[in-house]
Amino acid sequence: MTEINVSTLTPPADPYPAPNAGNVVDAPVSFTRKVLRLTFERIGAQLGLFWIVLIMVLAVFAPLLANSHPLAMKSNGQWSSPLARALTPTDVTLLIASFAALVLWRLKRIRLATRVWTFIGIIIVAAVVSCVTVKPPLVQVYDTYRNGLVSGEISKAIFVPIHYSPDDHQRDVEDARLKPPTLAHPMGTTADSADLASNMIYATRIAISIGFVATSVAIVMGVIMGGLMGYLGGWVDLIGMRLVEICESIPTLVLLLAFVSMFQNHPDQALYIMMVVIGALSSFSYAEFVRAEFLSLRDRDFVHAAQAGGLPLWSILFKHMLPNGMSPVIVNASFGVAGAILIETTLSFLGIGLQNESSWGSLLEQALGAGGNVFWWLAVYPGLAIFLTVLAYNLIGEALRDALDPRLNKMA
Amino acid sequence: MPQPLLELKDLSVGFDTERGQIRPVAEVSFSIYPGQTVALVGESGCGKSVTALSILRLIPQPPGRILGGQVLLEGQDLLKLSERDMRGVRGKDIAMIFQEPMTSLNPVYTIGDQIIEAVTLHQHVSTREARDIAERSLNDVGISDPHRRLQEYPHQMSGGMRQRVMIAMALSCQPKLLIADEPTTALDVTIQAQILELLRKLQRERGMSILLITHDLGVVAENADTVGVMYASRVVEFATVEELFDHPKHPYTEGLFRSIPKLGQHAKRLETISGMVPAPTRFPSGCKFHPRCPRTRKMAESIKAAQPVSMPPGSNVPLETTPIRDADGDIFDVLSKCVGVEPTLREVKPSHWASCHVLENYEKSPPTAPHLEHRREDATNGASSDAQEVIR
Repeated sequence: MTEINVSTLTPPADPYPAPNAGNVVDAPVSFTRKVLRLTFERIGAQLGLFWIVLIMVLAVFAPLLANSHPLAMKSNGQWSSPLARALTPTDVTLLIASFAALVLWRLKRIRLATRVWTFIGIIIVAAVVSCVTVKPPLVQVYDTYRNGLVSGEISKAIFVPIHYSPDDHQRDVEDARLKPPTLAHPMGTTADSADLASNMIYATRIAISIGFVATSVAIVMGVIMGGLMGYLGGWVDLIGMRLVEICESIPTLVLLLAFVSMFQNHPDQALYIMMVVIGALSSFSYAEFVRAEFLSLRDRDFVHAAQAGGLPLWSILFKHMLPNGMSPVIVNASFGVAGAILIETTLSFLGIGLQNESSWGSLLEQALGAGGNVFWWLAVYPGLAIFLTVLAYNLIGEALRDALDPRLNKMA
Repeated sequence: MPQPLLELKDLSVGFDTERGQIRPVAEVSFSIYPGQTVALVGESGCGKSVTALSILRLIPQPPGRILGGQVLLEGQDLLKLSERDMRGVRGKDIAMIFQEPMTSLNPVYTIGDQIIEAVTLHQHVSTREARDIAERSLNDVGISDPHRRLQEYPHQMSGGMRQRVMIAMALSCQPKLLIADEPTTALDVTIQAQILELLRKLQRERGMSILLITHDLGVVAENADTVGVMYASRVVEFATVEELFDHPKHPYTEGLFRSIPKLGQHAKRLETISGMVPAPTRFPSGCKFHPRCPRTRKMAESIKAAQPVSMPPGSNVPLETTPIRDADGDIFDVLSKCVGVEPTLREVKPSHWASCHVLENYEKSPPTAPHLEHRREDATNGASSDAQEVIR
């Protein structure tokens, strides 16, 4: 009798092959991609995206668009680039980050998650390295270039499109305060003799960073609070929700005024304080959304399946439940960015916002001069920028909301 | 004698509700031996799913609470494990598949992501190895082109395919016990047959045990080695599948079998068990089946009519009757003992447990915990004929 090792033989074929095993299925399209396609099918969302990309480009390339330092100049027969030397660590980091983003965007073959993490890594490394290595001169004397050109010390100079840095107060000019638009200053000048166009461009950085950072802070805090309340339920939920309700009943603006004026003597940190406070205050509404979502997700079958699979709590909460409950958060986030920008504008307009840097709000504030004078250029341009940015985020948010609305489409 | 893989000893589960505590699972005991399929049958709400979830300690706490008993996995009490150790048991030693394949997979991740997460978690392998394991387990459940399927999302698959994926996921970590909670209820009949056949095949290949929860007696007849019948939070009968189908002892089990339409039988209406399953907040006293029980009713009637009592010999139930009101408001009599004392499982016959006062020699039977190391005939036959096929 011959012995045959059963295990080396192929097992018998499944008598019942799966019904559509042989069918060709469409190439997998992720949910995210579907939603994005639906969102940006709309002309409004496209315009909004266009505007946001535009102000992002302005924010990144601000020093190359508006700068008192010449891009290149020839003095004593030697070419040099004062602009490059005057770049701040922020400028350098932003330029590196945008370049990295562009390159990673093109590398479609690498997984999206990998690309995102690489991008974040590059930003952190670039920020640290540029903070250590890039040392712009502490005191900037902008009129040297203009004086040098007049006196002939600088024989040739190539300037960027707008010849003025945002903090160039034109001490060489007799009276440059609050001048309406001219050829030299296409948007006019501000109350402290600075070029408005230049200030507008640099202010995009504030608008974008405060919008994104404050909203990120709000989302992270809201998701953690709401997620735990919704998933754990019971007394955690009970006490948590009461605290959220109490915090929500405090008028945001009043609380913000109190906080910001409390930190009034730390003007350097004012921006960060504002970001965190705006974020923390708006996190409660995210907590409510996320809690509601998690309450219903908790009883979904795939969550039970994840629990039965022995997955740890963080994975169930943030890997399996969160992406399924993110829709209202994402929609609200795009409105939240707009809201954060508006709050910053409000604070700056009230004169308790940022002091060292100008934002659209603080520029707008200067439109009302003493004695009831209105300087229209200071009202129109910053006002328009604020309006368009808030509109852009709202248009995108609305399109996103419709794209994610299960009643309007039949995505699983 | 081999040790049981899983042993439930007097497991009781309570839920705190606004109207007081309810007990969806009361003193449930049974054993599952390695390679065995144990079926739990019963109507909706009889506690079979809660039993399954309690084994994995997945009942929501609060409001749920395990009131007592033991769940021994290879001698280790799962109820005493820390939550952390319990997570190591879930998915690795005991896996579970659910009723609804359409919603049991996470819609935002690909099939591959979901299987790989479970595999890397429990088997401590690299993502690449996990991918191989995932591919193999998809292959094992009969999904063609597993390499490509791994990159697909759940919504791209049919219900049967998703249940195969769920099974592949559950089995990817080689569990010793698979809890299948109505695995085929949501599928159409042809797919049901495929899935059950697949489970049988995988069980044969791997020698794992299955706890099959169902209300489909056909599924039980086809798949189970031993069967526990649950009614209103208790196991009321436990026997081998052949014994239970040939000689049901409990009136509820009898009623279940009478409710199945038979081929070639002419009947105007299908038979049913009269009345409703009681809500867990309003369980009747004594035997929970007594308001619906034809047996106790018949006994009481014959006693009242002062006819020669047709009590089974050896049972010494006092011949008193109590009038009760059924769901329709009609008043009739049942035996007092059925209203007064809740019967527990007793071995009324070797390898056959039932809980009914009106059973022959119920009173004298030993109240042991049911455990049967039994395999159905055709299961071993099937395995050997399979092996023969392979050798040929």
